Amino acid sequence: MSHPTEPQGFVGWLLSPERRGALLVAPAIFVLFVMNIFPLMWSFGLSFFNYRANRLTVPSFRGLYYYERVLTDPVVWERFQTTAIIVGSSVLLQLIVGFLLALLFERAFPGRRILLMLVLTPMMLSFVAVGVFFKLFYEPTFGLLSQFVSVFTGEPYAILATPTSALIGIVVADAWMWSPFVMLLVLAGLVSVPKYLYEAAEIDRASWWRRFRTITFPYIKSLLLLAVLFRTIETFKLFDIVYLITEGGPGSSTETIAVYVYRLAFQFFRTSQASALAYILLFVVIVLTNLYLYGVQRRSQEL
Amino acid sequence: MQFVKSTCLAIAAGAATLALSAGALPKVVSAEEIVIRMAAPDWPPTRFMQEEANRSYKAPSGNDVRLELDFIPWGNFYERVAASLTSGEQKYQMIVTDSQWLGSFIEGGYYMKLNKFIDADPELQALMEDLHPALVAAYSTYPHKSENYYGFPQMPDTMVTWYRKDLFCNDAERAAFKETFGGTLPCSYEDWENVDWKAWENIGNHFRRAKGDKLGDGVADDDFYGVAYQASKTYDFSTMQINAFFWQWGGGIWDETKEPEGKAIGVVNSDANVAGFERYLDLLKLAPPAYKTGQMGIFEIQDLFMQGKVGAIIDWVGLGEPVLDPKTSQVSDKVAFGVTPGKRGSDGKIERWANIGGQPFVLTTWNSDTVNQEALDIVKWWLSEDTQIKFAKNGGQSGLKSVMAMDEYKTFRPWNQAHVAMLPWQRDVWHIPEFFELLTQQQEEFDKAITGQKSAREALDAVATFQDDILREAERIE
Repeated sequence: MSHPTEPQGFVGWLLSPERRGALLVAPAIFVLFVMNIFPLMWSFGLSFFNYRANRLTVPSFRGLYYYERVLTDPVVWERFQTTAIIVGSSVLLQLIVGFLLALLFERAFPGRRILLMLVLTPMMLSFVAVGVFFKLFYEPTFGLLSQFVSVFTGEPYAILATPTSALIGIVVADAWMWSPFVMLLVLAGLVSVPKYLYEAAEIDRASWWRRFRTITFPYIKSLLLLAVLFRTIETFKLFDIVYLITEGGPGSSTETIAVYVYRLAFQFFRTSQASALAYILLFVVIVLTNLYLYGVQRRSQEL
Repeated sequence: MQFVKSTCLAIAAGAATLALSAGALPKVVSAEEIVIRMAAPDWPPTRFMQEEANRSYKAPSGNDVRLELDFIPWGNFYERVAASLTSGEQKYQMIVTDSQWLGSFIEGGYYMKLNKFIDADPELQALMEDLHPALVAAYSTYPHKSENYYGFPQMPDTMVTWYRKDLFCNDAERAAFKETFGGTLPCSYEDWENVDWKAWENIGNHFRRAKGDKLGDGVADDDFYGVAYQASKTYDFSTMQINAFFWQWGGGIWDETKEPEGKAIGVVNSDANVAGFERYLDLLKLAPPAYKTGQMGIFEIQDLFMQGKVGAIIDWVGLGEPVLDPKTSQVSDKVAFGVTPGKRGSDGKIERWANIGGQPFVLTTWNSDTVNQEALDIVKWWLSEDTQIKFAKNGGQSGLKSVMAMDEYKTFRPWNQAHVAMLPWQRDVWHIPEFFELLTQQQEEFDKAITGQKSAREALDAVATFQDDILREAERIE
């Protein structure tokens, strides 16, 4: 009986047990590097050079010029303000609607499963489908909203005609899509509350508000925080729905910072400036993500 | 192991023998297989090109040449082409391109300059001679109106008036119009030649009906509007119509042919432009309420017209085919076409300046000599009289003067007469690489005026200042 021969030389060195783990994860790291890390570093480099993707001129080093330019550009701050308004309003609306839906679905009632499935549908749709749906829904000549309003006013209604109402239109579309996500998280918190606590509270004749404040809320507050942070990060990057429904209009009143980065990079071909702005956005998202991770950590400590 | 070695030796020996014997044999000329891949917007004129190429194109070289169009939806056509070119993937040998992109992609080194090919080929020279000069200027030259040639017309397009002849030729409507406005409701093609913006306004007011009102021989089943033209923030939609008002009112846009002396401030926000823009905004109030959102683009007005909600619109000839199709249009048997309205001068003549549409097609710079030659043969095939007539009969437009001069050309499609009449009135927007920045900011400002956030003058002042900044930065204004 002969022993199987061990590979010798370089192959043997490579396949030795202490290197096997590294070898197995190497393909994944390679793909991550090629598809993610390298482009990230490359675009970071571009933000320091004078480069336009549609020109043949050789890039020249400009240091922090594009960061300074982006941070002193009044249009960038306008877009940040618009984004902040949309994020604030949309996340608040998602929380309210999501919370109310979770309270509704916490209890058992006939048809609950089917209704729950229907309520969850919006967050499973693609952004394009939601964008096109709301664009048609808001259309003033034949859209359902206009038809409905004209029953009372006798006039067609164009929600996307003024800056404020257009912002409301965007917020409603985004909240319609993502409130079910908040509902899911809150519902997970609600069902984790031990029943005996409610029973004890009932014996003590605690009011609904007191039960909510002292029993329900402590159980869901971490999940609620996660929902807020997660939705804030996502809404901060909002592009698809805005681009499809209003293209940032009327004028530029609903143009978010993500839409502006897209215009800078792929319409104006200001590649370096777009890279600099994208890195500033990345910084903001990293800060928000750290808050998110902090929230996750607190939740795990509590459980 | 011995077996493997013997097998390898045998294969190597066989391969060597084959290679030697092939070298000894006389060369056999075989047809080369060549695929010309062309980026193209997805719409009827390019679909026809693909179908006709599949049906009838045979390369004169004897090579097996296949034209393959890569159809891209209009909505992201620019982004897709730009992404392909700037990524360096070298996917396309030819590209259908908007004329505005010429500067951007020529200076990027992607579009091939064609002068040497034209100079060396009498057929191409004859073809260039036969092309309408407005098309050569807009579709081929960079810098604009120079003698550097880059493209050939794939689909020349102009805006014309589409109108409901059942309403405009209705006796009761005509009598009511005459009584109220004192003029003639245009019914025939010749009537439309006499329509100025005042008459357009009267038409808009005349045909504004609420649901249930009498309309023609029937009753309006929904709110009905007399007139509409494009007013949308998307791409170049508002600009295409507003430029017509600038030029007709004697104003203009920043003139790239006068670089670097040509100015933006004082030109873009001139009194003439402000007056033209104000007139555009006035007439827009007669349109369906979609204009209030700044989203009444060329497709939206086409839809509204096909749904029977508007009496007359101004839209591109290239979008006309679906309106004649009963499957897509409720007014397929009621539509007729005329020239667009214009501004009547003190001499009584109407000026109809308009922004040209349509697209040229170009060759890319990475093609081999063989591919270039094959691509130019495709150009010759496409711009041959035979193909151009077939194209025009199927809803396209020819760029050749000789084809357009044929008597029967006007009868190929119902809008042809208007298109030929509009062609000499065409001018074009800028072709420089900064065009998208200029366009996007201008579209935003126009949109603010359309949605009532700014006056015409405030919007044009903002456009002029922005253009001055951008063009100075690009060293196009001194």
